[in-house]
Amino acid sequence: MADTVVATPQDTAKPRRKAVSEKVFGWLLVGPAMLFIAVIVAWPLAETIRLSFMEAGLGGEEYVGLANYQDLVESRKFHQTIVRTFYWMFLSVALKLILGLIGAALLNAAVPGRALFRVLVMPPWIIPMAIGMIGWLWLYNGYFGVLSGTMMKLGITDGPFEFLAYKQSAFYSAVVADVWVGTPMVTLFFLAAMQGVSRDLYEAAWVDGASRWYRFRRITIPQIMPVIVSMSLLSAIFTFNSFEIIWILTEGGPRGATTTLIVDTYKTAISNFKFGEGSARAVIIVILLGIFSILYLQVLKLVNRKYGTK
Amino acid sequence: MATLNLNAITKSFGAAQVLHDISLAIEDKEFVVFVGPSGCGKSTLLRIIAGLEEATSGAIVIDGQDVSDEHPVDRGISMVFQSYALYPHLSVYENIAFPLRVQKLGKADLDRRVQRAAEILQLTDKLHLKPGQLSGGQRQRVAIGRSIVREPKVFLFDEPLSNLDAALRGDMRVELSQLHGSLDATMVYVTHDQVEAMTMADRIVVLNGGRVEQFGTPMELYHHPANKFVAAFIGQPNMNFVPATVLGADQAGLTVELSGGHRMTLPVEPGSARAGDKVEVGIRPEHVTVAPEGMEISVRVLERLGGVSITYGETADGTRFCASLPGDAPIREGEPLTLSVAPRDCHVFQANGDVLRRQSAPEMTA
Repeated sequence: MADTVVATPQDTAKPRRKAVSEKVFGWLLVGPAMLFIAVIVAWPLAETIRLSFMEAGLGGEEYVGLANYQDLVESRKFHQTIVRTFYWMFLSVALKLILGLIGAALLNAAVPGRALFRVLVMPPWIIPMAIGMIGWLWLYNGYFGVLSGTMMKLGITDGPFEFLAYKQSAFYSAVVADVWVGTPMVTLFFLAAMQGVSRDLYEAAWVDGASRWYRFRRITIPQIMPVIVSMSLLSAIFTFNSFEIIWILTEGGPRGATTTLIVDTYKTAISNFKFGEGSARAVIIVILLGIFSILYLQVLKLVNRKYGTK
Repeated sequence: MATLNLNAITKSFGAAQVLHDISLAIEDKEFVVFVGPSGCGKSTLLRIIAGLEEATSGAIVIDGQDVSDEHPVDRGISMVFQSYALYPHLSVYENIAFPLRVQKLGKADLDRRVQRAAEILQLTDKLHLKPGQLSGGQRQRVAIGRSIVREPKVFLFDEPLSNLDAALRGDMRVELSQLHGSLDATMVYVTHDQVEAMTMADRIVVLNGGRVEQFGTPMELYHHPANKFVAAFIGQPNMNFVPATVLGADQAGLTVELSGGHRMTLPVEPGSARAGDKVEVGIRPEHVTVAPEGMEISVRVLERLGGVSITYGETADGTRFCASLPGDAPIREGEPLTLSVAPRDCHVFQANGDVLRRQSAPEMTA
């Protein structure tokens, strides 16, 4: 029997016209998202970079080349701010991770009322930041605060102690408030990761005589290590960019003791109307976080190689 | 190696009692399989032996020593889990070495024991790999390796082959039997697969609803099932149960009339059976043959497996009946078929499920 050629619907359609309309349809789908990103991300970023080369204020703009960057490179105060920012970030993230790990391990333990405890860790994360910080302002207040009052009662101080009035105490008080806000999220992520570890692994180790601490060290930690690394990166970025906590508690004071890069940028650009210098700071933040993220991703790769399944 | 005695073990979870007064004596170097349907309590019983669950009452005695209150590691047992429970972040070497690292064994001794286990299980060239890079069978061997290095008194296996495909399961059955031979170890093995139980066990414990239905050698269970449950559970395809009425009992056995009207005198000890009693006659599918006279069934489904033809049909009163016939038997779906069975191959079960002991069945002990 001779072969019969039957035209399929694809053959009868006009392929050229269809290809074009598919392309247009694709752009129509992507378009809104692209427009959104262009307006919300790309344009402000480009504008920030442009402004960083300007002497810009309320009076107008003037191109100054790299002068803003040069000022920053030569500024001892700016160097101190960078060091302070990284110290703030590492201290706060370390505390969040340690407390998060301990909290998750406790919440993962088979104790009665475990579900209630899991809910109780969430308020710092849930309640609006401003309200939480006003609470901390009251706690840290020298005259009305619980902390100062308790210290006086215990005889640690002989008068009201204003936590946010002194350089060192203000810095560490801000760190404590930041840890308070950031720990619940870390805890819940660690808890979720711990719950994903097979119970059989623990039982097998138990049958082999491994202690609780040994099981935590040799099974739990390696099993959740990728989550620990990912969370530390996320937490580091959040902490680096943490603005509201410091601004509500101290506005970067006293005498710059709690001024991190993000606060410094705000103060320069918005409080002092030096848009050009502020933009240069913002660009430096982006570069620093970019470098930091790349380094972190390398660490994540190493961790996955060591603790991964292949 | 060691003996293992379970003395009147019971276990309850809240109000639900899952194990009822279980007593077993497992001999040194014996391979005992706990078998039963899902939820029968076999895994719970194994976990109680391991120390992962606490018995509500009763005692576990290993080598004459009551270990009921001992920590798992002090009981001298090791366990292979259904999921293998391998540490995915550790290499095969480190997985096998894990129990020895817990014991803080010296480096040389540790290495010697791991290498020996790897040799036994043919894993020497896989020691540097991680479990994720191994096949299911290899992972299973690593899990076994981890229990071997402990040099335990009793090995416990919790459905270790259930995650493997059928072909690999067959291979691993042989390997485990060989391993038992080479280690000369007391092994307790849990499975829901009666083929695994029959092929590997020295003795089988059939569990149902948290009770031991029968404890015996595979062939004892096959030829002398204690009750209808064991008879139905052991053997592939499952035994047929045909309703019958007792017509009379004498020294020759029990004369019954099957539901289809066919009469037979079965050589069983009549016990308390009397004329008029309702019983069930158990007939294994492999014991029937096509014959000109006998029990008539209507063939519904025919499975030609080559060597045998598994024939599913119904008797006149609707009782389902399965026959395992020669592969080339001239049978067609939808057609009637007359089957015959030798009376000495039949089992008789009373209304309460208990068996009437057969007079002429082989007295198999192994």
